[in-house]
Amino acid sequence: MIDEDLAENLLDAASRASPLLAEVRLESTERRQLALKKGQIESVSSSSDEGMNVRVILPSGVGFASSNVVTKTKGLRLVRLAVSQAKSARRREPFVLSPENAARTSWEVRQKTRLSDLTTEDRLEYLRAIDSAVQSTGVNVQGRYFELRDWETTRYFVNSEGARIRSFVPRVKVESYNVVLANRETEQSIKEWAGTGGWEARDTWDLPRILPEEMRMLKRQIEQGKRLEPGKYDLVCGSEVAGIAAHESCGHPMEADRIMGREMSQAGRSFISRDMIGHRIGSEHATVVDDPTVPGSYGYYEYDEEGVKARPRYLYKEGLINEFLHNRETASRMGVSSNGSSRAESYIREPIVRMANTFVASGDFGEDELLRSVKDGVLMNSFTEWNIDDKRYNQKYVSREAYFIKDGEIAGPARKVTIEITTPGFWSALDAVSKSVRYDAAECGKGDPAQSMSVFTGGPMLRLKGVVLR
Amino acid sequence: MKNLREISQGVVDLVRSEGADDVIAEAIATDVKQVRFSNSQVDAVNSWSEEHLALMVAVGNRVVSSDIRTLTDVGPRARALAAFAKKAPPSKTYGGIASGRFKYRRGRPDARISDLRDPSRFVHDAIAGAESEGANNVGGTFYAIHDRVGLASSAAVLAADESTAAYLSVRAFFQPEASGHAVCCTPILAGMKSKETGERAGRLAASAKDPVLGEQGKFDLIVEPLCVGSFVQSTSGMLSALSVEIHNSMFVRKIGKRVASDQVTFVDDPTVSSTTRRAFDHEGVPTRRNVLIRNGVLKTYLHNTGTAKRFKTRTTANAGPFVPMAQPVAFHPVVIPGDWKTDELIADTKHGLYLNNTWYTRFQNYSTGEFSTIPRDAILRIEDGEIAGAVKNVRISDNMMKFWKNIDALTKATQEVYWWEEAAPPSTLPTVRAKGMTITRSA
Repeated sequence: MIDEDLAENLLDAASRASPLLAEVRLESTERRQLALKKGQIESVSSSSDEGMNVRVILPSGVGFASSNVVTKTKGLRLVRLAVSQAKSARRREPFVLSPENAARTSWEVRQKTRLSDLTTEDRLEYLRAIDSAVQSTGVNVQGRYFELRDWETTRYFVNSEGARIRSFVPRVKVESYNVVLANRETEQSIKEWAGTGGWEARDTWDLPRILPEEMRMLKRQIEQGKRLEPGKYDLVCGSEVAGIAAHESCGHPMEADRIMGREMSQAGRSFISRDMIGHRIGSEHATVVDDPTVPGSYGYYEYDEEGVKARPRYLYKEGLINEFLHNRETASRMGVSSNGSSRAESYIREPIVRMANTFVASGDFGEDELLRSVKDGVLMNSFTEWNIDDKRYNQKYVSREAYFIKDGEIAGPARKVTIEITTPGFWSALDAVSKSVRYDAAECGKGDPAQSMSVFTGGPMLRLKGVVLR
Repeated sequence: MKNLREISQGVVDLVRSEGADDVIAEAIATDVKQVRFSNSQVDAVNSWSEEHLALMVAVGNRVVSSDIRTLTDVGPRARALAAFAKKAPPSKTYGGIASGRFKYRRGRPDARISDLRDPSRFVHDAIAGAESEGANNVGGTFYAIHDRVGLASSAAVLAADESTAAYLSVRAFFQPEASGHAVCCTPILAGMKSKETGERAGRLAASAKDPVLGEQGKFDLIVEPLCVGSFVQSTSGMLSALSVEIHNSMFVRKIGKRVASDQVTFVDDPTVSSTTRRAFDHEGVPTRRNVLIRNGVLKTYLHNTGTAKRFKTRTTANAGPFVPMAQPVAFHPVVIPGDWKTDELIADTKHGLYLNNTWYTRFQNYSTGEFSTIPRDAILRIEDGEIAGAVKNVRISDNMMKFWKNIDALTKATQEVYWWEEAAPPSTLPTVRAKGMTITRSA
């Protein structure tokens, strides 16, 4: 149970010390986990967590102090600590924040089937059904590993400007790790499915059908897949590949804190500079959105960690750099309002600029129509290895599932097709986009210590014209 | 606060009285001070303190665990976990816990780290050091960490330890695409060389000025400890017996086989003085020096009691945290040094790259070791034994086992390195040369 009076008491103390802004967050989370390895239980755990933090903004800097000991005595100590830390920063440039409305509201994500009502047997039955379905394929799947996690988080946020926000968010996730062996060769599949809401989320995943298909597909890739002759081809990207590209080469370089250098020694900087709003980055088909308000999405929220109302952000719009992801600090420095992009993994960590659900916006092609349009190319449905440099300019994706396309028809599996391309190269080659957006769940890493953040990546089918593949 | 060992023992006694067979309780208290800086000034000064109790309970082979996030009212939650265990489904692969009355060598924490009041001064020194070498933009992180732990189990284990660590990471820019990265890791504050670390990052940044687009092809790579640290992270992860069990490893069925060049001896040694020195693992077994790869031949995986039983061997005292899942982990990887100096390595290299750092090491297939990674910070081209300028925008696209097999020279000098989530856990490493590695770049 959140002690709202404690939050008010701590805010009073922090406000007296901070002429600019003081914030207090109280949080409690219930977590459950179950893992199945090769059909046997690997672990069962259940934990409760409760904690608080105080963030104080002074012209000299920011002080943030947190603890999982939730008492008034500890809280007042955190206030003193946060104030002294903010003073010790001794910044040359004074710290400023964008003015924002002080919201007074409550929001929650409703569950049809409450996660807290599930028994361990319910969770085990679900994972065993997936495992049995995978085994029933007859494919030699080594090291079958499935893990189910669910958690419910209650938060109370107050700040010295009058914001008072209560929230309740349940999330549930399944991770799978499988290695398929055929012809003395292996292919790996590491996947996750997740959402915000109750146990009903599993119905949208359909894992007892999806995972066996994935195993059969990997076996076909090994047994029938042929290497591509390196060269220039038209590449059709499935939604999983569109999503990773949207996240890595649009979402990350558009984070304003990264653009301003705050992540320079960890997750890196950005090839985009603050004066590049309106600069062309891709074709007119390249529109990438980050939207925390997608119902049921893994990155769903209604108000961010600074109490700013969430809304869709059009990052790349018709090929132009359109809008950065901002918190109140970066927004102030760039003379705009925050667009509600401040998130924290938990009360123990400072809030920073993060993505939510980043996806390529839909176009007007049917998927069949798009495939039929390709004379000599490749369909890359999904990826295995991927990475991008720390300025988010040079990216690489290696296919997990890919097919040759000849004269508009699928012409057999293509094995480990690789695209290594610059960010403008990728988005400029985009010349057709299909109608239906699909999403994948992912954990995004950023911050120091690294904060894992729940996100969706996604997109429709994309056609890239004449890109180098090998 | 009560003695952490007493708290843990009290919980073990309580849970045993509720009918549990095996119990491990590990009470942990951590205080961290952190300074984040960028653009040559401090962004935020953060601190967090956590105290919690990790609890594993087995009733027969019904095993459950919980992270109890308080140390003041543990009893009701511990009883609830015992009740939960009785109703939990059985695990056919449960391997038990370590038993014995062990002796430990406790750590020597440095009160100057645990009592540190103004961590920002180290940051200001580092920034000044980097700027003195020509850097015009400096960022990074400083940490001061104080850990205390008390562990008890139903198998007569009773242990306590305390440690401190300070970490400084400095990335300096000479130009927007010319940067250098240096770190300092120390268990005692007297070992924190903040100005020198800043200077080194600044020198590397200046050496990387005016980088040109790198070429594709085969190169001999001279790899600094910070960069090797990223490879050690993935390699030590794949040496965990749990990774081997689920084939998330290139070391499956490789015991006794060659997995690296005969120049490479890879150990896990949490017994030496370092930021991750520890007296015992998370089951309470005294830590020890484990040779994992000796002269290129794989000798053992990392084990806890459970994986050791399944692999018909003995624990290597590498039990990791058991919430939510018990798995063996490396605590402090060490690559045994050679007898080269870095200058000699460069002079001996005809066509190569000198790599300061890397990130985003990702695997196409863990079971084969195919991977790529993106060098960052100073990437220096070597031609005919001399540095011939800086390059940018290249990627190593090759095989991790090949990297270890192609190492033909290691420096005598080693450094403890730790950086963010890439070069982790902290490890002590030399600079190495790996011959004939594949470099690619964007088309």
